[in-house]
Amino acid sequence: MNAVTTVALVGVGGQGILLATAVLSQAALADGHDVKASEVKGMAQRGGSVVSTVRFGADVASPLALHADVVIATELLEGRRAVDMLERRGTLVCAGTRIPPGGVLRGEEQYPDDIEQAAAARGIRLLLVDADGLAARAGTARAANIVLLGAASTVLPFSDAAWEDALEGAVPAKILEVNRLAFRLGREAVPSRV
Amino acid sequence: MPAVERALFLSGNEAIAAGTARARAGFACAYPGTPSTEIVESIAAAGQLAAQWCINEKVAMETAIGVALAGTRSLVAMKHVGLNVAADPFMTLSLIGVNAGLVVVTADDPGMHSSQNEQDNRTYARFAKVPLLEPSDSQEAYEFVAAAFDLSERFDTPVLLRTTTRLAHGRGRVVPRPPVAWEGRRFERDIPKYVMVPQFARERNRLVLQRVARLRETAEQTPLNTLEAGTTDFGIISSGIAYQYAREAFPKAWLLKLGMSWPLPVEKVARLYRSVSRVAVVEELDAFLEDQVRALGLPVIGKQALPSNGEFDQEIVFAALEPYVTRRAPAGRRRPLPPPELVIAPAPKPREPLPLRPPVLCPGCPHRSVFALLRRHKVAALGDIGCYTLGALPPLLSMDSCVCMGASVGMMAGMNKALGRKAAVAIIGDSTFFHSGITPLIDARYNEAEGLVMVLDNRTTAMTGHQGHPGSGVHADRSQGPDLDIQRLCDGIGVRCATVDALDAAALRDGLERELATPGLGVIVAAAPCALTLAGPGERVVVDAERCNVCTLCLAIGCPALAPGDKAVEVSESCTGCGVCIEVCRRGALSLPGRGGDGR
Repeated sequence: MNAVTTVALVGVGGQGILLATAVLSQAALADGHDVKASEVKGMAQRGGSVVSTVRFGADVASPLALHADVVIATELLEGRRAVDMLERRGTLVCAGTRIPPGGVLRGEEQYPDDIEQAAAARGIRLLLVDADGLAARAGTARAANIVLLGAASTVLPFSDAAWEDALEGAVPAKILEVNRLAFRLGREAVPSRV
Repeated sequence: MPAVERALFLSGNEAIAAGTARARAGFACAYPGTPSTEIVESIAAAGQLAAQWCINEKVAMETAIGVALAGTRSLVAMKHVGLNVAADPFMTLSLIGVNAGLVVVTADDPGMHSSQNEQDNRTYARFAKVPLLEPSDSQEAYEFVAAAFDLSERFDTPVLLRTTTRLAHGRGRVVPRPPVAWEGRRFERDIPKYVMVPQFARERNRLVLQRVARLRETAEQTPLNTLEAGTTDFGIISSGIAYQYAREAFPKAWLLKLGMSWPLPVEKVARLYRSVSRVAVVEELDAFLEDQVRALGLPVIGKQALPSNGEFDQEIVFAALEPYVTRRAPAGRRRPLPPPELVIAPAPKPREPLPLRPPVLCPGCPHRSVFALLRRHKVAALGDIGCYTLGALPPLLSMDSCVCMGASVGMMAGMNKALGRKAAVAIIGDSTFFHSGITPLIDARYNEAEGLVMVLDNRTTAMTGHQGHPGSGVHADRSQGPDLDIQRLCDGIGVRCATVDALDAAALRDGLERELATPGLGVIVAAAPCALTLAGPGERVVVDAERCNVCTLCLAIGCPALAPGDKAVEVSESCTGCGVCIEVCRRGALSLPGRGGDGR
């Protein structure tokens, strides 16, 4: 990885991309990195494609990057779309969740089914995670975003203490336990550390 | 001399009024403000076209936009500070363009004879990237109006016509010209042109930048910009009334007179610099032209000699510049640096064609029912800013304009005035209504407009994250303050108002049909809470697989909770049970058994 690492979080408005962005940023800060993050709010959030970016390293200037080292996708089509953002040898942590957009619902467009081939063709490591299933096991389907962070933690250089710090700092106390469990289940879902 | 016998003796404002009628404009409006007031006053007195006072300059601008979109040429006049009030619609009007021409008159007040500041509104032309015309006497004021309408339609842009106090209130001879030939236009529905949601606004913005490039060419060719040869080695660039001071102070100087003063005609400036070795810019207030000349790398005499405040006259101009006429010519380049061609970033193109995911109205959104109803009526739905602007996107395609906060109401009043019937309704959210929808409603009543305002009242500012507003009474710290009832507000200002449950399709339909059939002005408050604020999941709609033939009528309302299955439509768990789909199903296949009935 370069001196600055870029993580993109992609998904559908309403899937908790902003909370995941906050937790990830906090974890990077807790480990002493310089961090810059950018989020998209407003109209784009209403069920549209959402992209937020977290960049960390010794000294980060720009909050934005068109290319990422790691992409965390809370939805399959958005993960597929983000394949273009990934650097070769990058990692795509992607939920199996399918939310068909309007054009697909109305039969005007086809939902893509080639994420594995597309990732392989570009030399990208693909970690497909049953985020919904694991979140439900943790106690709430809404924690799918944190399950994915747990899975992504296996390729990100943050300490366990930093992640714990971040969850405590960013997640409301009422749902902290559920999210801790969701994070652990996501982490354990990835077979081996890189 | 027969021309003199026929000549009129008019103030600049009266000349603009006469020029407006000559240009076959059908509508003019204003909020009075010195030195602009007599424009609409004279138009109203002459009675050749409709004229009205509006409640403020913003509403006047929005009304004029509605008229122009309806296919009638319209003119809106204001004093310089009035354009601050109207800046919101003005800036986005540049993006949507016009249909029939639209001319904005700004009357600036150097010397602050009757104003609280001395702002130079030429900056607004560059800011909004629209052409700027500056007449220098009454005859030009009269003729430039038609030129402005012509430019407006040729370039699909509003045109800023700028006067100053001495032009507006000074008098001069005006030789009448024959009326221009012009036929009215029709309103054509064009969602990507008139609905400025981000995806469409980005594309319009590219067109505006291309328009600037074309306007630069026009500035070189237009007869409004003339280079008058002199007999000395001294040249002056000037526009508006300042040109007259310069002409009188230095009758032997070369004069580049800019009737169209933005964008700057660079080649004409270059010709002046080829002709003389000393060039001065004579302009009151800001170094608007001078800065642009300096940006070409050319040495120029301007604000180091002439005041940056107050009015000029020929003596001020002479005293300030006379020393420079004989002094050694300033060193520096004689040929302008070519101004860079604008780089316009294209829309990003994905490498592979994947289905796009534009934002959509949420499952259970109470706005959906209004659009499901509107798409069955032949009215233009002039919209506003909020989640409901998404009603313009597929598959609903039920909103025809979105310009700026509160613009829907004034535009509706203007469009209906131009067409003489209830051709348009306004669609505005509750928070936007409180932001700037009340003043145009009062204006519509005052000006006896025909129309209907539908307030989509979800009791919150949903788009930005459910902030409070005067209707909900919720403060920034979430504490509860006094709430304001739209129904009672309408009662207070004397506008007919009915409140209906936004999810009661029959009541909504009856309300709309009754209002469209009733003369005058009405408001329907379509009330139901934002689906995102509902406590828990509601009862889900049930599909009767025997009756459903997947005709997809229900999918056309764009609910993300509905998807076509093989044998029947499928309802996802995101369904809130709002029931809007039940109403559109012709086979009675959808129902909420818990609430009884199948919706038929």
